[in-house]
Amino acid sequence: MTNGWVDIKNTDMMLIMGGNPAENHPCGFKWAIEAKRNRNAKMIVVDPRFTRTASVADYFCQLRAGTDIAFLGGMIRYAIENERIAKDYLLNYTNAGFIVRDGFKLPEDEGVFSGFDAAKSSYDRSSWNYAGTLPATPPPAAAKPGQPPAAPPLPPMPEKVEYDQTLKNPNCVYQLLKKHYSRYTPEMVERVTGVSKEQFLKAADIFTSVRKDGDTKKVATIIYAVGWTQHSSGTQTIRTAAMLQLLMGNVGRAGGGVNALRGHSNIQGATDMAGIFDNLPGYLKVPTPADGNFEGWMKRITPKSAKPAQWDSFNYWSNAPKFGVSFLKAMYGDAATKQNDWAYDYLPKVDRNFSWVQLWDNMYNGIVKGMISFGMNGVAIGPNSRKNIDALKKADWLVVGEIYPDETSEFWKSPGISTDEMKKIQTTVYRLPCAGFAEKDGSFTNSARWLQWKNAALPMPGDCRLDQALVAQIFLKVRELYKKEGGKFPDPILNLTWNYTDPSNPSLSEVLKEINGKTFVDAEDPATKVQLKAGQQVPGFAWLKDDGSTSCGNWIYAGSFTEAGNLTMRRDAGDPSGMGVHQNWGWSWPANRRVLYNRASCDLNGKPWDPSRRQVWWNEAQQKWVGNDVPDFKADSKPSDHMGPFIMNPEGVGRIFAPLGALADGPFPTHYEPTESPVENLLHPKQTHNPIAKKFKSADDSYGTVKDGFNVVCTTYRLTEHYHYWTKNNPMNVQLVPEPFIEIAAEMADEMGIRGGEVLQVTSARGKYIAKAMVTKRIKKMTIDGKPVYQIGIPIHWGYRGIAEDEDKTAKTPVNSLSPSVIDPNAYTPEFKGFLVKVEKYVKA
Amino acid sequence: MSQATLRVQKISGHAGSIPGEDTQREYTVCKLIDTTTCIGCKACEVACMEWNDLPFGETIFGNSYQTMPETRWNYWNLILFNEHVREEDGSLMWLMRKNQCMHCAEPGCLAACPADGAIVQYTNGIVDFQQANCIGCGYCITGCPFDIPKMNPKNNRVFKCTLCTDRVSEGLEPACIKSCPTGCLHFGSKEDMLDLAGKRAKQLRDHSNFPHAGVYDPPGVGGTGVIYVLHDAAHPEIYSGLPKDPRVPWMVKLWKGPLKWLGNVAMVGGLIGLFVHYLRFGPKEREETIKEPHEGAQP
Amino acid sequence: MSHAEQAVPPGRILRYNFRERITHWAASISYIYLLLTGLAFWSPWLAWIAVILGGGQVSRMLHPWIGLIFVAAVMCMYSLWARQMHTTEADRKWWHSLKFYVQNEDDKMPPAGRYNAGQKSLFWSFFWAGLVLLASGLVLWLPEYIPWSLRWLRYIAVFLHPVAALVTIANFMIHIYMSVFAERGALDSMIHGDVSEHFVERYHPGWYKEIVGESSPPRK
Repeated sequence: MTNGWVDIKNTDMMLIMGGNPAENHPCGFKWAIEAKRNRNAKMIVVDPRFTRTASVADYFCQLRAGTDIAFLGGMIRYAIENERIAKDYLLNYTNAGFIVRDGFKLPEDEGVFSGFDAAKSSYDRSSWNYAGTLPATPPPAAAKPGQPPAAPPLPPMPEKVEYDQTLKNPNCVYQLLKKHYSRYTPEMVERVTGVSKEQFLKAADIFTSVRKDGDTKKVATIIYAVGWTQHSSGTQTIRTAAMLQLLMGNVGRAGGGVNALRGHSNIQGATDMAGIFDNLPGYLKVPTPADGNFEGWMKRITPKSAKPAQWDSFNYWSNAPKFGVSFLKAMYGDAATKQNDWAYDYLPKVDRNFSWVQLWDNMYNGIVKGMISFGMNGVAIGPNSRKNIDALKKADWLVVGEIYPDETSEFWKSPGISTDEMKKIQTTVYRLPCAGFAEKDGSFTNSARWLQWKNAALPMPGDCRLDQALVAQIFLKVRELYKKEGGKFPDPILNLTWNYTDPSNPSLSEVLKEINGKTFVDAEDPATKVQLKAGQQVPGFAWLKDDGSTSCGNWIYAGSFTEAGNLTMRRDAGDPSGMGVHQNWGWSWPANRRVLYNRASCDLNGKPWDPSRRQVWWNEAQQKWVGNDVPDFKADSKPSDHMGPFIMNPEGVGRIFAPLGALADGPFPTHYEPTESPVENLLHPKQTHNPIAKKFKSADDSYGTVKDGFNVVCTTYRLTEHYHYWTKNNPMNVQLVPEPFIEIAAEMADEMGIRGGEVLQVTSARGKYIAKAMVTKRIKKMTIDGKPVYQIGIPIHWGYRGIAEDEDKTAKTPVNSLSPSVIDPNAYTPEFKGFLVKVEKYVKA
Repeated sequence: MSQATLRVQKISGHAGSIPGEDTQREYTVCKLIDTTTCIGCKACEVACMEWNDLPFGETIFGNSYQTMPETRWNYWNLILFNEHVREEDGSLMWLMRKNQCMHCAEPGCLAACPADGAIVQYTNGIVDFQQANCIGCGYCITGCPFDIPKMNPKNNRVFKCTLCTDRVSEGLEPACIKSCPTGCLHFGSKEDMLDLAGKRAKQLRDHSNFPHAGVYDPPGVGGTGVIYVLHDAAHPEIYSGLPKDPRVPWMVKLWKGPLKWLGNVAMVGGLIGLFVHYLRFGPKEREETIKEPHEGAQP
Repeated sequence: MSHAEQAVPPGRILRYNFRERITHWAASISYIYLLLTGLAFWSPWLAWIAVILGGGQVSRMLHPWIGLIFVAAVMCMYSLWARQMHTTEADRKWWHSLKFYVQNEDDKMPPAGRYNAGQKSLFWSFFWAGLVLLASGLVLWLPEYIPWSLRWLRYIAVFLHPVAALVTIANFMIHIYMSVFAERGALDSMIHGDVSEHFVERYHPGWYKEIVGESSPPRK
């Protein structure tokens, strides 16, 4: 979230799309209700189903799963056409006026941007750049022997970007944006998404009404979740939302922003701490073999500012070397020295995709031989559960740390495997008894980036162990083996910092302390004269150095555990400004600021757009930025310096056009149909699907089409009453919703001649799912390009282990047996939503 | 769930004076349910189960998100889901109404109950079942216009929401209120809740597409200790059958009122009449007459 | 009904055979229980009766079962006596002369058969009230099985049950009064089965004529 949960209460307008917070985030959803109750805020919900969120919305549109970009693109067009945009914001805080280089081409009828290589299904993105003189680039470092030659690196951005404050230049971002989305007319939106023109216009009118008649006071927020991410164009969907918000000047402002609702209590924390294979903690890019050495790595990940000459840019990522060195010092301590490139060689280098679906494909293909699986149920998660089961059959070993026997640890018991087949499975499965969430302490990082410490509420039962104890003991054993047997490269293991009071069961307090980082030498902040003694915790990432005098496990968490103690434990609910900042509750990254890019909440002169919602502002007397929140800005940068508020971008401004390597599939989002879709792409029929979304080719991977009879759009989701795949073991949750079901439209049920409670079989190109029908008015028959299309919805929560499953009350078919192995090219998220199935009455064999 | 700190102002099946009547200065408590901000998350259902340590029961799929068709003796708090199509514009509403005991000011259950002290109303307005005194006749089930009391077939006693008397008597809110994530549930004095509900209803009328929004506090049962804010107060029945004008059934009133008087008078009158008859006319034949055999009867 | 069923002492006439007596007592004992427990449910002022009888729970639990026994007994009575309970011309006359009956001027009454019109009315009251009590009682017994949409059944039941009970109570009071206090020998007849010829001749002259075959002797 750019903003935070509590901040939603400050909004005037909510667009909730690709998310169902009432059901999946009921506690956080209170703030949306507060906004309605206290500010008369309006709520628009756009979803394939009329959800419990829709039940309290002011306006609801049912759209076809996977057509969000078409809808949002239509919104962008509507905002531009009706001048519901924030002109000053757009000019000064976004790259709307930046000129794009000649040679860049919009997809138009072709459906692909300039630089597309159809043979390789990839883009040469060098034309996706701003106009201006490009700095000279040194030739790429020679590849190390034995390693594949690296792809030529992308050119840098021009240091002085050409721009046009009149926005008239046909190559400026704004004009390109306007041209690109001119095709997304209300009629087109209706044909693609199934939302009628009238409904779309109403929704667009309501949402953009915050900028009606040049109003700059009101704020709109966009709230989403995995309903956006889990598509083959998921990242681009979120980009579209970000662009719309930039266009309307809603980013950085209280009650605004683009807000991802995380699906688990600590998903944000997992992502922050390198939950993605190509990230190190704090979103430092993982080194690749092409980087060669520390310097090469830093060069790649440290951008140079690229902005109009008259403007200023903080370009915060210019500090990357400080974060990188401090990270290596935290990892390897004294073993990381300037002489050995800060132990750069110890870090694993990523030379290929190791994302979730790829890992399972690798196991399926015999490349991955074993798996340690903690806190997740890989078979049930899918996609394409059958493939994951088949992959595990081929593995040598599987270690599962869980609190219940689950689909993964009992993959060999999955339905359809005969006793004889079971005997042939050679995988050794180790099941480790883990502790449940209430039995563990530690911090959760919520969607709002708040780190909140929790204490263990219950003792662990029986022989259960804490996760960190299990991991530590495995590590200590491995280290012992390396000590004893040497091995190819024992140094990273032997030199890993492991200074915990109880090495076999590290306390999480110690771990957080280590993540926060400390200084090895006495230090002083020249501005404030604050002094630190050697060995003390750093108060924030501004103290980190690239000379090896500081360590920090994750720079964005620097400041969470300082000399003042564990700040994530703070529980002061005080909120002097009344804006839900709660400065002394827990701790929020970065630097305890609650709304990111909050400089953008002020006009060019540093005065809040809305004086009734003051977040930060320029204090002329003190010559610095002050406020109710921590300014997300260079504190002493005068408004006249024209430093951009989006300090993490080298441009200093928000990117309506995402240049160069930012995204793999285009600098502007364009609508692509889901990999399995009932229609051709109406915007550019030559390119129906995302051309670089990855499909897989194993024997277990196949993709269905309408021609094969897969004519119903299926989407998957969660219910309030259950949590993923483990509350099916809890009698209370099972009582609330006892068994799986399939939601289908009443019209569809009538056509099929079935009634609620009758059993259906849903089949995709990959598997089948059997459950009772829930016949509802909440999913309606849709008309897509004049043709009738049905959508169905299936909650994900069941499988073949659980109370109902063990009592043989369900068909024991995990829903992700249906979903396809397709991944978005940016975040590598599978397309769990909007794939094709056929629906039949179930006939018992 | 007898609570020493709570005093009784109404009591079922009781002869004589009422222990707590006119003995306490207390305000009437009230639960406010704003159906327009209820998201049907069922946290209240779980909180009710957990706080009251109610045993789990089996549920079956009922083509709905609703946990079960109606409240049970061991499930006092149930959100009712209804897919309603608005007549005005054909748009869909998914109405969710938390259903539980309404804690009527004039409770039909209490009126119908023949068992001494099985149903009481405390001075704060909470209507509470005292299972120790319950005889299992089920008249409360008949007396209730909201279909709330349910019989436990094992011990033949009736159970329902207690409004968490054990919590309220200690100054806490009921468990359901505590658990509600969106703040659609409120708890306080009846006066305050009516005020809050009225304001919310006005807000809905003024700022939303609900010109008929209003407060449900049915006068037919003297008002209730649980009040609703409804999108459409003119049609409460769309909320899974919330009665428009709930009253204690008139048959029950007839039975407990006129019939009872009539019956008592008739029975006592009859006894007196027969006694007087005996005094006046005596037996049809005296003993001695009978003993004297009738010659005609001799064989 | 055969007179040979049971030997009776000379000068006496068998009025109720064993089946009739056992049926009667099954009905009356169950009825008394129902009456007492029913009264306990009727008014808090009589709740003490239930206390004596084992408490409200026990009373409520047994009341419907005993009720079934009672209704079964009433049905037996029906099979035994229904044919003899048809209203005759004499009964109509009897009702017209009720005043004399009340004032113990039985000689002014038209001759009654085996059962006089009052007894017949008692019979039919209990029969019909028994049916109403059964039907309404079942609804009250198992209110949970009455769906909410049919809740009016419960409302009717809750009213009709005491109404029917009150009808039986009125009849019952008169019946007890007549049999125990007013008509000496009547109670005895329901125990031993026989009555004196005098009793028959006096209270049921029509029947007397039927079985003795001669007109009743002139009264004193």
